Amino acid sequence: MIRKLDVPMELGEGVEVRVLAWHKQEGDAIAEGEALVEWETDKAIVLVTAKQGGFLRKLFAREGDWLKVGEVSAFFADSLDEPVPDDRGAAAQGLIANFETT
Amino acid sequence: MPRLFFREALARALAEELDRDPRIILMGQDIGAHGGSYGETRGLFARFGKERVRDTPVAEAATIGLAAGAAAAGLRPMAFITYLDFLMLGLDPLVNYAAKLRFKSAGQLTAPVVVKTTTGAKGQGPTHAQCIEPWLMSVPGLTVVAPSTAGDAYGLLKTALRAEGPVVYVDHKELFPKGGEVPAEETLIPFGQAALRRSGRHVTIVSHSFMSLLTVDAAALLSKEGIEAEVLDLRSLWPIDWAALGESVKRTGHVLFVEEGQPVCGVGAELGFGLRERGVDAKMARLGAVRAPVAASQALESFVIPDAARIAAAARTLLEGRKEVPT
Repeated sequence: MIRKLDVPMELGEGVEVRVLAWHKQEGDAIAEGEALVEWETDKAIVLVTAKQGGFLRKLFAREGDWLKVGEVSAFFADSLDEPVPDDRGAAAQGLIANFETT
Repeated sequence: MPRLFFREALARALAEELDRDPRIILMGQDIGAHGGSYGETRGLFARFGKERVRDTPVAEAATIGLAAGAAAAGLRPMAFITYLDFLMLGLDPLVNYAAKLRFKSAGQLTAPVVVKTTTGAKGQGPTHAQCIEPWLMSVPGLTVVAPSTAGDAYGLLKTALRAEGPVVYVDHKELFPKGGEVPAEETLIPFGQAALRRSGRHVTIVSHSFMSLLTVDAAALLSKEGIEAEVLDLRSLWPIDWAALGESVKRTGHVLFVEEGQPVCGVGAELGFGLRERGVDAKMARLGAVRAPVAASQALESFVIPDAARIAAAARTLLEGRKEVPT
C-alpha cells in the first residue's frame, strides 16, 4: 500500500514549514519509532517519527524546500518494488506518524 | 528569490540597517536574548549587543517616550510594541511629542523614531486584536505602513528606519506563520506606493495587511463567477497612493474597501471620501468588522471579522447595485 506524508492540519491554518533535514533517503527502510524528517515552522521545530514500518520511496520536498499545510512531502510503500505514482496529488492513505513540536 | 519566514525578513532588514547606521537602536519587551515576541530579533542581541538591542519593562508609554526623546537627541530608535492595542498606552509620547516635534520646533528638531507593532485577530481576544490603524492615519506628522508579504515587510521596514519622521510600522499576527519571497539584493520600498495583487475590470477591492491575502482569495472566488476584481494592497496607509487608487477605480467604476477593523471612521471611510474629493466618481461600499469587540472564541472571532466569502459577497452586492447597511 502507498502511504503519503503531508503537513498535518493540526499545525494550524495557513502555516508553512521549511524542510530542515531528512533522516531517511529514498529507498531506505523505516521502522516504527524512527525519525523521518525535521521541519521548521515560524515558532518551532517539528520532528516527524514513523508509527509504522515500510520504505521511503519518493521525496517531493528536499532540505530547504517549503510545504504548506496539506502538501505531500513523500510517498512510502510496504515494499521496494510496489509501483509509486509520480503524481504528488495521487490518492493515498496517510502514513501513521508522530509529530513532536519543540 | 530566497523564501523566508516573515520574522526572518524582519530580522534581515533590522540586521542590515543596524550594520549600516550606528544611530539605530532597538527597544522593546523580550527583544534581547529572547529574540522578540515573534522571533523577529533572533540573533541581533548577540551580534549588536545590549546597548543597541535593549530589553524594556512592560511600560509602553515609557518605552516610546524614551525612544522619541532619544530620536530628538540624534539617535534612530525603533520601539517594539507587541500588540497594537498596547500602543494606546504610548499614544501620548507618540502623538503629542514625536509627531508634533518637527512642527513645534519649526523644523529644528525631528523625531526619527519607528514604532513597530502587530495588528489583528488570531485568537487573543478583545484587547489584543484591535485594528486601530485609522486612529494613527488621522495624526498629522505620522507615517503608517502595513505590509502583507515578507518582501514588503523587509522593504518597508528598511525605508522606515531611514525616514525623518515618526513611522508606525504595523505587521499582522497571521502573517508570521507564512513564508514569502524576499529579494536577494538590498531593496527599499518607498512609502505611498500601493501594490497591485490582481488585475481586473469589474470592481476594485482595496485592503491592507492580512486582509489583502483574503481579498486575493475572494477575487479567485469571484473570478469563477465571471467577476474580475482588481486587488490593490495599500502597503502605506499614510501617505496614501491616491494616483493608483484613482486610476483603478475610474476604470472599474466600482470600489469596495475591506479592512479588519471597525469601518466607522475607518480606512475605507477615508479612502472613499478622499477619492470623491479628487473627482473620482464610482459606486462604493465598505466591509469591516461587525460593531462588536473581537471575541477570544474562534467561532465568534470569525463572526466578527471579514473572511474571503464575506468579501466576495460584498463585491457582488456592490456590483448588483443593492444597498446593505453594515451591522
